[in-house]
Amino acid sequence: MNGAQHILDAFHRHNISTVFGYPGGCIMPLYDALVDDVGVEHVLCRHEQGCALAADGYARASGKLGVCIATSGPGATNLITGVANAHRDSIPMLVITGQVPSGLIGTDAFQETDVLGMTLGIVKHSYLIDDANSLPTIMEEAIELAQSGRPGPVWIDIPKDLLLSEAADAPFPQPEARETASTDLTEALAMLRAARKPLLYTGGGISLAHAEDSFRAFAESSALPAVVTLKGIGNPGKHNPYNLGMLGMHGSRAANKAVDECDLLLVIGARLDDRATGKLDGFAPNARMIHIDADAAEINKLRGADLAIRGDLNEILKSLADALQAEPLAISDWQKQCRTWHTTGGFHAADNDDPMAPITGPAFIRQLSRIAPDDTVIACDVGQHQMWVAQHYEFDHPRHHLTSGGLGTMGFGLPAAIGAQFADRNSTVINVTGDGSFMMNAQELATIRRYNLPVKLIVMDNQCLGMVRQQQELFYNNRESQINLDDNPDFVAMARAFDIPALHIERTDQIRRGIETILAYNGPMLLHVAISREENVWPIVKPGASNTDMIDETARTAKASKEQVA
Amino acid sequence: MNPQSQPSTPSYTINCRMTHEAAALERLCQVVRIRGFRIATMAVETAGEHLDIALTLEGTRPIAMLQSQLEKLHTVAEVALAAGSVARSRSA
Repeated sequence: MNGAQHILDAFHRHNISTVFGYPGGCIMPLYDALVDDVGVEHVLCRHEQGCALAADGYARASGKLGVCIATSGPGATNLITGVANAHRDSIPMLVITGQVPSGLIGTDAFQETDVLGMTLGIVKHSYLIDDANSLPTIMEEAIELAQSGRPGPVWIDIPKDLLLSEAADAPFPQPEARETASTDLTEALAMLRAARKPLLYTGGGISLAHAEDSFRAFAESSALPAVVTLKGIGNPGKHNPYNLGMLGMHGSRAANKAVDECDLLLVIGARLDDRATGKLDGFAPNARMIHIDADAAEINKLRGADLAIRGDLNEILKSLADALQAEPLAISDWQKQCRTWHTTGGFHAADNDDPMAPITGPAFIRQLSRIAPDDTVIACDVGQHQMWVAQHYEFDHPRHHLTSGGLGTMGFGLPAAIGAQFADRNSTVINVTGDGSFMMNAQELATIRRYNLPVKLIVMDNQCLGMVRQQQELFYNNRESQINLDDNPDFVAMARAFDIPALHIERTDQIRRGIETILAYNGPMLLHVAISREENVWPIVKPGASNTDMIDETARTAKASKEQVA
Repeated sequence: MNPQSQPSTPSYTINCRMTHEAAALERLCQVVRIRGFRIATMAVETAGEHLDIALTLEGTRPIAMLQSQLEKLHTVAEVALAAGSVARSRSA
């Protein structure tokens, strides 16, 4: 077998059946080998960034490895945003790029870039192959590495001549046993039992560890009030009575209040990101902290833990759940207090009673949440709509909510939805996007059409970069700068140009019919939702401020009135 | 800012062993830089398939944070903070 055939051989051994890619000069030997391969479905996207983000979405929705392929030079550089996105959110991904032939490396050859050098900061690990015989072993190592411990993207750059060279089979090492946690569950339980106001704080690490069921069992047996990060949405399930929702910059008052008041914070699979904690000095000021994570480097990174437990979340959560099932925590007053806060300070956007009123973002998302099937996958883009989804859509599973948390990549949603649809061709997949984000990877409408994917597209169009406009309004004296998009194309006509039917709505009484129409349609369909340019996401914490200093619409209006009087 | 008015910067010595692979040193230096440290001195020796690297670093962030990030690198076999290496360096 040559190098290219060894790559496909590794795909088969690891049951990798779907890959996303775009061909070009130096990767052509692999594409030539694909011609004779019936076991791997290659999805041709229309831009390499689309390939990487689709592979990311596939991995998030399926829990499997995402694979993307591109050629050297611009093919590789176009992948970078998508790979950085996977790196920041710890998504398991294998990236394969062609490189100029070995003898031409370093000669400024056509389509040569130093891929290894320019991607060091956005990968879990990377390889430049210099011997075809090392390729089989490196493929094994890379596939294992991308998925083990804290997952992440692993990049293999392969000179074209080595894709064509014959390579010897290699003995494949058996994967090492997972590291056993050095746990102290007894102390954790003692701290939980001693606390009067313990609070559960979880993030994306739950699903990365495939620990969704163990966590759900633990959350039920502990009955701990719970807050979640953007990536932890869905962890507690939509019916958990103690779930206070998302904390942080656009979190609920209830969630941020509970963090401020708690005396013990049990952090599981979360990294205390600045968007979640706000100003660290003011974060959970009265709380001791237990931090449970698979990655030792996250422990004590931003805030010292009173107890740190590193290891397999499934095992840890099962042990804790068993112990608390046998002897429940006595925290009824705290539970009651948190539920009261949730009632008064949770996300409860009202429906608009006026059928002719313009559509508001929160009201639309709440309707979508009621109408869409429970197992619908929502792939968000980045901006105001992303926060409205996080606040108002009730997710029952973390893998149903695909969002670019760490990197905040506009243009993520559409290719991620494509990946999610390939992960399960029968699931309902909706890309909720904004007019700014949609235009960043709109070329992938052609991919949806080519594969006839029944992805539903909802474009919430306020004809501006809403989140930037909002921050300019609130924190830059309303000095708008380069946020105007009122020359957007006609999105309905644009979708139709890709042979995708589309519908426009703008009034409250059109919401239900619009959502039901696209969900009922047997194929891809776009719903264009006109919303107000002036609408903001509430509440908001000023970047760098404490989460207790939340600004909401009422406070802003009161301030404006006061200034007017003065 | 007047350099003389800056507070002194802690200095550390770290010894690191890693696989001698393509971009090994770049990988190491990239992590040192992005995690907030500056390389004052660096000595590298080849030891079979490994590189032994001695670094003197300056930075105000906790050195344990850098150590754990270096240990995460797939090709790093060992990171050791030299005993008594913490010292106040020049105030520049």
